Amino acid sequence: MAAWARAVRGLLLDISGVLNDSGGEGGGVPIAGSAEAVRRIKASGLKLRFCTNETQATREKFVKKLQGLGFDISVAEVTAPAPAACRLLKERGLRPHLLVHDDLVPEFADIDKTNPNCVVIGDAAENFSYANLNEAFRVLIGLEKPVLISLGKGRYYKETDGLKLDVGAYMKALEYACDVQAEVVGKPAKAFFESALAEMGVPPEQAIMIGDDIVSDVGGAQQCGMRAVQVRTGKYRYITHKPRKTALLAGMSERRQLMGFPGLLSCSAPISTACT
Amino acid sequence: MAARRALKAVLVDLSGTLHVEDSAVPGAQEALKRLRAAPLTIRFVTNTTKECKKDLLERLTKLGFDIAEHEIFTSLTAARNLLEQKQVRPLLLVDEKALPDFTGIATDDPNAVVIGLAPEHFHYEMMNKAFRLILDGAPLIAIHKARYFKKKNGLALGPGPFVAGLEYATDIKATVVGKPEKTFFLEALRGTSCAPEEAVMIGDDCRDDVGGAQNAGMRGILVRTGKYRPADENKINPPPYLTCESFPEAVEHILEHLL
Repeated sequence: MAAWARAVRGLLLDISGVLNDSGGEGGGVPIAGSAEAVRRIKASGLKLRFCTNETQATREKFVKKLQGLGFDISVAEVTAPAPAACRLLKERGLRPHLLVHDDLVPEFADIDKTNPNCVVIGDAAENFSYANLNEAFRVLIGLEKPVLISLGKGRYYKETDGLKLDVGAYMKALEYACDVQAEVVGKPAKAFFESALAEMGVPPEQAIMIGDDIVSDVGGAQQCGMRAVQVRTGKYRYITHKPRKTALLAGMSERRQLMGFPGLLSCSAPISTACT
Repeated sequence: MAARRALKAVLVDLSGTLHVEDSAVPGAQEALKRLRAAPLTIRFVTNTTKECKKDLLERLTKLGFDIAEHEIFTSLTAARNLLEQKQVRPLLLVDEKALPDFTGIATDDPNAVVIGLAPEHFHYEMMNKAFRLILDGAPLIAIHKARYFKKKNGLALGPGPFVAGLEYATDIKATVVGKPEKTFFLEALRGTSCAPEEAVMIGDDCRDDVGGAQNAGMRGILVRTGKYRPADENKINPPPYLTCESFPEAVEHILEHLL
């Protein structure tokens, strides 16, 4: 059995770029072999949780789209930034001005949004207009203690029609304008991975994170004590720098790396014998 | 220690130095005439993202200043010069009123991005267009990186935040061409056959005018008009070569001591 797969009891899976490429009306395009790979993991007895920074829709909505693409996934199996942000807002008595995608707003239904004392920014896509950004900026600059909460900090993501600016770029814009530092809820924040692991019931040293983003997925997971696999699908193709060495990639053969997530699972005999 | 080289060029800031809004600084027109009688090259320099040279010239001529268009150098000119040097075709995210300063530059099939203050262009679709060009290797040129500015109904985002966002997304640094960047001052002297050590800058903004010029190797004269506030001269190191009342006094000093 490959050393890197020893004592693995659970997998955290990124969604966009691993299971599917987002974009278009139907939720995007599934990545070949991924749906089957998910079924095989579930059949193997390994624990599984989807750990995503998706903020363009509620969990109900994007899970439904993925089910439509043939994936065996349910809302209960998903760790996403909006619900994590809601917990934080309630804990700290924060009332947000939201700069998010229209389809995410329902996640904040039972949050008090009157007289905002912070700004929450998500992957707002077309809602990143000058007017909307200016409004968020004015809320922040008018606060004695400006609090900016960013759902993830990705630089860009891949849709079927090309690369698009992610929440991180606009988080930076507001940070620069107001001379503040955002708090990140979502990958690669440690707390986010820790809550996913807690929800799965597996400690970090017995879990593997699989993703396409070297910073948000791989880097963030490693900093929690997990092992991480970077797949060469999704936005990987567009990255020009070499990924930092991961414990896993060092042990994997070239063939496995190229085949991505389904490829990893098709050589998964070591994994299935590792689980108890 | 080597003797100071003789003065050959004078750079003059516009707003706050030659005029304050629609009024000329008292005595400034005559002072300029006296300066012109000396063997000096003169350039009028300013940061702007939406006033083309013709508009500036019109305003100054109306105030009684004797100025030629080719003597005006703005942050827009600096951007244009950079585009010509690099031989690139820009995606111009600038105010419509600034476009005349880019006449003659090809903009089809862009391979460069220029950002000024242009809220009408800062929507998601256009930002993505700029982002993809930069990822493909297009240089990102910022007219300046102001964070925000004051409007009648409150504060509004400047170009700086959008430049910062694109820098983060692409992991590329923008080239900022306006004051107080060193290149702005060096570019202003291009074509004058004067070295920075042979030039002096007169302005009311201690950091952007004087500090920037001195950092480029020139001498800087701070005038106490426009946005000047008491003790501004203590905000830069080294301090201004000279701090004086206004443009006419600066000219007197130059004619008496620097020629």
